[in-house]
Amino acid sequence: MTALALIPAHAEGIDLKSASLVPDDDGWHVDAQFDVQFSPRLEEAVNRGVPLYFVVEFELSRPRWYWFDEKPIQLSQTYRITYTPLLRQYRLSMGSAYQNFTRFDEVTRVLSRIRDWHVADKGAIKSDGPYQASVRMRLDTAQLPKPFQLNAIASKDWAPASEWYRWSIGNR
Amino acid sequence: MKALIFLCVVTGAALVYLMSEASSNNAFFAQNYKLLFYLGVGLALGLGSLIVYQLLLLRRKLRERVFGSKLTLRLMVVFALMALIPGGLVYAISFQFLQQSIESWFNVRVDESLNRGISLGQRVLQNSLKELNEKAEAMAQSLTTAGGSEATTLNRLREQHSVEEATLLTSRGRIIAQSGAEPVALLPDLPTPIVMRQVRAQQSVRSIESIPDRGLFLRVIVPVNTLSITDDIRVLQVLQRVPTAIAKDAEMVEAGYKDYQQLLLARVDLKRIFGLTLTLAMLVTLFSALALAFLLSEKLSAPLSALAESTRAIAKGDYSKLNPVKSRDEFGVLTQSFNTMTRQIAEATDAMERNQRQLENAKVYLESILSNLTSGVLTLDERLAVRTMNAAAAEILGVPPQAFHAVKLSDWPRTESSLAPFAEIALRRFAAPAGGEWEEQLEYRRSDGQRTLLVRGSRLDTSEPGYVVVFDDITHLIQAQRDAAWGEVARRLAHEIKNPLTPIQLSAERLQLKLRDKLPELEADILKRATGTIVSHVAALKGMVDDFTQYAHASRMNARAVALNDLVREVLVLYESMGVAIEARLSDNLPLIHADPGMLRQVLHNLFQNAIDALTGMDNPRILVSTTLGSAGVLITVRDNGTGIAEGVMGRIFEPYVTTKPKGTGLGLAIVKKIVDEHHGRILVENVKPHGATVSIVLPLRAAA
Repeated sequence: MTALALIPAHAEGIDLKSASLVPDDDGWHVDAQFDVQFSPRLEEAVNRGVPLYFVVEFELSRPRWYWFDEKPIQLSQTYRITYTPLLRQYRLSMGSAYQNFTRFDEVTRVLSRIRDWHVADKGAIKSDGPYQASVRMRLDTAQLPKPFQLNAIASKDWAPASEWYRWSIGNR
Repeated sequence: MKALIFLCVVTGAALVYLMSEASSNNAFFAQNYKLLFYLGVGLALGLGSLIVYQLLLLRRKLRERVFGSKLTLRLMVVFALMALIPGGLVYAISFQFLQQSIESWFNVRVDESLNRGISLGQRVLQNSLKELNEKAEAMAQSLTTAGGSEATTLNRLREQHSVEEATLLTSRGRIIAQSGAEPVALLPDLPTPIVMRQVRAQQSVRSIESIPDRGLFLRVIVPVNTLSITDDIRVLQVLQRVPTAIAKDAEMVEAGYKDYQQLLLARVDLKRIFGLTLTLAMLVTLFSALALAFLLSEKLSAPLSALAESTRAIAKGDYSKLNPVKSRDEFGVLTQSFNTMTRQIAEATDAMERNQRQLENAKVYLESILSNLTSGVLTLDERLAVRTMNAAAAEILGVPPQAFHAVKLSDWPRTESSLAPFAEIALRRFAAPAGGEWEEQLEYRRSDGQRTLLVRGSRLDTSEPGYVVVFDDITHLIQAQRDAAWGEVARRLAHEIKNPLTPIQLSAERLQLKLRDKLPELEADILKRATGTIVSHVAALKGMVDDFTQYAHASRMNARAVALNDLVREVLVLYESMGVAIEARLSDNLPLIHADPGMLRQVLHNLFQNAIDALTGMDNPRILVSTTLGSAGVLITVRDNGTGIAEGVMGRIFEPYVTTKPKGTGLGLAIVKKIVDEHHGRILVENVKPHGATVSIVLPLRAAA
């Protein structure tokens, strides 16, 4: 039930180190470990108070020979990184929940670890047929301030994103 | 095309507006800026390719030399320049202005003051925190020494130090007591284990918390030491709200700082984005203007092309092409004038053609009259040069029809010497001062005989002065008159003379018979000779009278189909023994002719007799008779190598009693001529070299009944 992937660390951008779909009492949750490396420009942007939005997306699909793949589950989570110069604090927030940090690498570290992301209730995944799970993380460029959006079109620095990481889940 | 360009222009305008909106801070457009940008680029590319397409189209037209395409090009260039120069200028200025104004937002003093503002806020907060720390440590001191209920003590201490919230916890993080100005705990989270460890190491932990919707809070966590070692240490957490005014100010400063920092960071990008928007707007506007310029120039040159086409049509003679008047401007007026002109030309041409036709008809009518006229008609201009000569005139004068065209009358004898008397008379009569109209009879010698012409002349007093000469060949008329006269004479002679001849002959014979025996020999001999003379001369007279009778009665024709060759052979037999070599060359393909065989026989007899008479006393006498089929009919020729005809009688050879023979009535050829005339044939007598004569007769195949 658990697939694990090991991918060598990359210089800049986002890479996925490992991901797994784990059954628990409530149903299923995703654990994933990313390697998030900010480019100097992006880090500077954060330090100058530009809020960054990172989106983690999860998809569960079942191939169908006669039509597009069935996608029973499509979820996403948005993480927001902000910096408060007055307090010299970084804040990583998700919805109403937040966490403050004084050091940037701490933020990165916490952002890289996705733990116990509840993605499916019990019984949502049927027992027949193989499924394919996919996960990725990317910077939501649409939420960047306008001037930087054009940069995101032009340069990879401004649009770090991991490839879709896919692994298959077979039911027995 | 028109609709497409219009659509492009409208879309372009909308896009440019939206993009400029998006460049300012507007949430909705800001989000869709990317889409707008791509749309703008797409539109600019579309317009660009449209213009390229139009240019290619124009180039093809120029190559094919379509009328109006050069004007289109020139107008197009003018329009394009009109759009390009101001557009480019405005663009350059705007671009420069934009770059400079963005740069002008940033300066060191603002930067510095914002930085100072932030550090000021930080220092204020740090000071407050330090104060709170001192309070917390005092509270912890009090808590260490105080006995009794912790909650009461805590509450008292909190109020004493005027702290917002105070919480006493165990070192493991369990709440022992809590006291707050508000009933609900301000902070949801308790100190983390790391913080607790730090506190256990006798270090106070200070932090500033920003709680959403509540504002800024100062948080200090200090250890509450115990007096005894056995007891575990406790932890005191104190919260104090930063005064709202300060917090607000700090937030404002922070927001300003953040904005400024973002702007600073985005300076280059902003320049780029505004520049791109501006460039795109410029491109779309310019391309739209160019595309419109095309439309306009084509529209302007369209009436010209239409006019050119009409002109070409008129040049080809098609007057039906009228251009619709579309506009009320000068082009419209021009088109209208052109149409009017076309109509007028068409009408004029019509009238002209009608007149021409009428004139031609009249001319043809006149010419047909002239050519069918048996009279010769000759028109001369004022210099007396020939203008026209009808067929009959050429025929009568015996010259080719067009030979004398534009030849002066005075030059005629040089070309044709036989025409000299004709020209001379005409010249003389026209030169006379009263020479309005004149009439003269004239003998005209032609190669085939003498003709008598009746010539009338008159001066024309029309717009084109000139002269007209009308003449008739009256030879036949005179001949006919003569023939008739001679016929009458012959008939009378025959009648008057023939009657007494028989009694004369009979009387003479009776005299001889009765007196022969009664007279002496000498007298009887005289009588015999005298009566012999009388009888023979009476016989000669009888023959002469018969000739006259024949001549007088020759006009009773009894025509039927005749094979001419058979007739010729039949007659020839009679002349075979005359001591003359007669050669016959008879054509085999002669058709039957319509003629009176008796009369023809007479003709042949007369011709042979004449030939033989002419050959008397000649060496090696020969006669050649031939028949051939010609275009006008059958040709009979009798040719001899005799003495020929004397020049003096050649002109009157066909008149009765004109003869060159020592004995003869002179009626032979006259009879021949008469018979030939009655058969509507033609006869020609001419001398041949070295000596001899030829008589040619043409008989039409089908003589008129």
